[in-house]
Amino acid sequence: MIEAPSISSQPAQPSTQIESKSIPMTQLMRGQTGRIDCTQAHPDECSMLRAMGLRPDASVQMCRLGEPCIVSLSGACRIGLAKDIASRVMVHIDD
Amino acid sequence: MPSTDSSTPSDHSKPEIAQTRQVPRHAIAVLGNPNVGKTTLFNRLAGIRAKTSNFPGTTQEARVAHVQLPISIDEANTDAQAGIASVLIDLPGIYSLNLDLSESRVCRQVLDGSLAPAGETARVPDALLVVIDATNLMRNLSIVGESISRRLPTIVAVNMIDAARRKGIHIDAAKLSECLGCKVVLCSARTGEGLDTLVEQLTSAKIPDRSAPTDQAGIERWAQSIYEQVSAGSTGNQDDSLTDRLDRAFTHPVLGLLSFVAIMTGLFWTIFKFAAYPMDWIDLWFGHAGNWVGAILPAGPIHDLMVDGVIAGVGGTVIFLPQICLLFFMLALLEGTGYLARAAFVIDRALRPFGMSGHAFVPLLSSHACAIPGIMAARAIPDRRDRLATILVAPFMSCTARIPVYVLLTTILFPGEPMRQALAFTMCYVLGVAAGLFTSLLFRRTILRGKSRPMALELPSYRVPDLKSALLLTFDRGMVFLKKAGTMILAISIVLWWLGAYPHSDPTQASLDLRAQAESIVQSTPDAEPSLQAQSLFDEADALDTRNAAKNSMLGRLGSGFQPVFAPLGYDRQLTVGVLASFAAREVFVSTMAVQVAGSDDVEDETVLGSIANATKDDGSPMFTPATSWSLLIFYVLASLCLPTLVVTAKEAGGWKWAMLQLGWMSMVAYAGALIAYQSVLFFGGA
Repeated sequence: MIEAPSISSQPAQPSTQIESKSIPMTQLMRGQTGRIDCTQAHPDECSMLRAMGLRPDASVQMCRLGEPCIVSLSGACRIGLAKDIASRVMVHIDD
Repeated sequence: MPSTDSSTPSDHSKPEIAQTRQVPRHAIAVLGNPNVGKTTLFNRLAGIRAKTSNFPGTTQEARVAHVQLPISIDEANTDAQAGIASVLIDLPGIYSLNLDLSESRVCRQVLDGSLAPAGETARVPDALLVVIDATNLMRNLSIVGESISRRLPTIVAVNMIDAARRKGIHIDAAKLSECLGCKVVLCSARTGEGLDTLVEQLTSAKIPDRSAPTDQAGIERWAQSIYEQVSAGSTGNQDDSLTDRLDRAFTHPVLGLLSFVAIMTGLFWTIFKFAAYPMDWIDLWFGHAGNWVGAILPAGPIHDLMVDGVIAGVGGTVIFLPQICLLFFMLALLEGTGYLARAAFVIDRALRPFGMSGHAFVPLLSSHACAIPGIMAARAIPDRRDRLATILVAPFMSCTARIPVYVLLTTILFPGEPMRQALAFTMCYVLGVAAGLFTSLLFRRTILRGKSRPMALELPSYRVPDLKSALLLTFDRGMVFLKKAGTMILAISIVLWWLGAYPHSDPTQASLDLRAQAESIVQSTPDAEPSLQAQSLFDEADALDTRNAAKNSMLGRLGSGFQPVFAPLGYDRQLTVGVLASFAAREVFVSTMAVQVAGSDDVEDETVLGSIANATKDDGSPMFTPATSWSLLIFYVLASLCLPTLVVTAKEAGGWKWAMLQLGWMSMVAYAGALIAYQSVLFFGGA
């Protein structure tokens, strides 16, 4: 069996590579983009959000602030989040 | 190197798959994220042959289709048959196989060979068809990675390739196939592009000769790396101002609510407007069927069983089929537009203070047609306590079976005043919703303590809905309704008919006297037709006999036994029998009352409705006073008078204790509400 091309051997790309300070997703302005740092939630909830695409280093753009908070995920899909959840997703603001 | 099959945009013909009656030797599980067009693809492959089936012991359902798949070129030399009898199993849409969610567990068990939809043999699938979204490749690759780790023959369908092209996304299918170590087909379930190629490849899927990491972080990195190798074109966040504007409008606190009310009003208007015609036809057809069967069968128990038990029971159920079908059709269309996910957030705001989440929106909406599909729709609610609260509350929503009772009682209360009738009718719906919200608030602060889970939902792109998928779903749901609810209600109707028909009673002296009187009138005018007076006396004698038979039947005796319980609400023996009979189905109340007071169950006849309105108790006093009518109306809004709903509650909530709680609580609320209504009207002089 052939291992998939040089992926699993790569070192992780931890969000610590990005040096800016992370803020709650709810503090993004409308239209502003950021990269997900981590999610401060129950492990099950974190796993669910990651499976939905809100994984570390994923690019998100804020489409609607408030309740619900709507983000565009790398332009590929939109995810609506209750404000309570969105406030626990930490992001780095893109330059 | 694995083969790759990409199709051309001109290859849009419907795939040719024949129906099979053989024992399937090839099981194919269809797996994928939600909103990737998996079910549309499945419907394209299976068509009308698909049926909905449950996974035993779970609340999850799958669509299953037995089909004849063509033999691939590789196998053609070794198998001379025309095709391979196969079963396609459309698994629930999941984001990951590894999540601790019911849907993910079911998918894992099916892939392990330890679970199969009801009626199928549990075994490890012969092939796995993973459907992914070409416009959201990176996230979708995660579930592909989890799938190929299962070491099952796998084929990957990259769906929505037409949408990806429009977005300027190019996917290198050959490279993707090489990275995954399995066949990859670019396709579009909506246009049919690539489906012939996919069908040809389904029976020749091979175990992938590549592997993927097994931990979540590893799979994410693996997916990103493959994505960077195979995808080119538009990436990153794009300006989508129309979607932004629509999203902001549909989720706005005021505008969102107004849009919701407007859309739902349109939905219900359409359902009530257009369902009325087929309902009338069905009613008429069953009426004729009853008359025809009644005419050819000799009088006796078989005649009565067929006409009053079987045909009346089946007719009473099937009459609601148009509303059920229209509701599911409209909901499927609405879901296809992408609006429902936005509406769920609007409703979330309204329901959250009462302990429910926006996930309860579709179940509660469906419950306004019938609580059974509403409770079944609660399966999609991820949090157990949210789900239980929704199931317990759903029967408070005014279902279509209550409508005949509402119509009867509001007509009796406000004869010739359509505006007041409409207001009372609306009040019934509002009262049901209010009781549901109060119940949720109470349960979430006591037995289902805890905050409801905050929502995180993918918002699908706005699209023109797929009419074919909506029609297939409607057909499927209609069949499920007919098979499950129909058979259940039919059985209950037969039991009720039996209880109401036996033991037989001899004619009373009063009816014998009336008949003798009528006979003497007939004999005094032998050459003429029986006079109106004689006919009237015969009818009166029949009614007396019917009432006497009903009184002395097992159901009648039951009514007499329970009457003291309902006496504080103003119900006499006959009304008590009507209420008890309603446990089969609420609408049975009208026909039961018609049978009791007029000796006829032809409720469409205005004179019969009039005879109910003017019916008297055994002591000769009016049966439907304003106080009694209000009491009955409130009772029917709030009571859990539906045995099939209780059965479904027990099944979906995971035990009879929940069904008993629902029955007990709703009965208590209904009794208290009806008592307050009755005593209040009496107190204020309404008699």
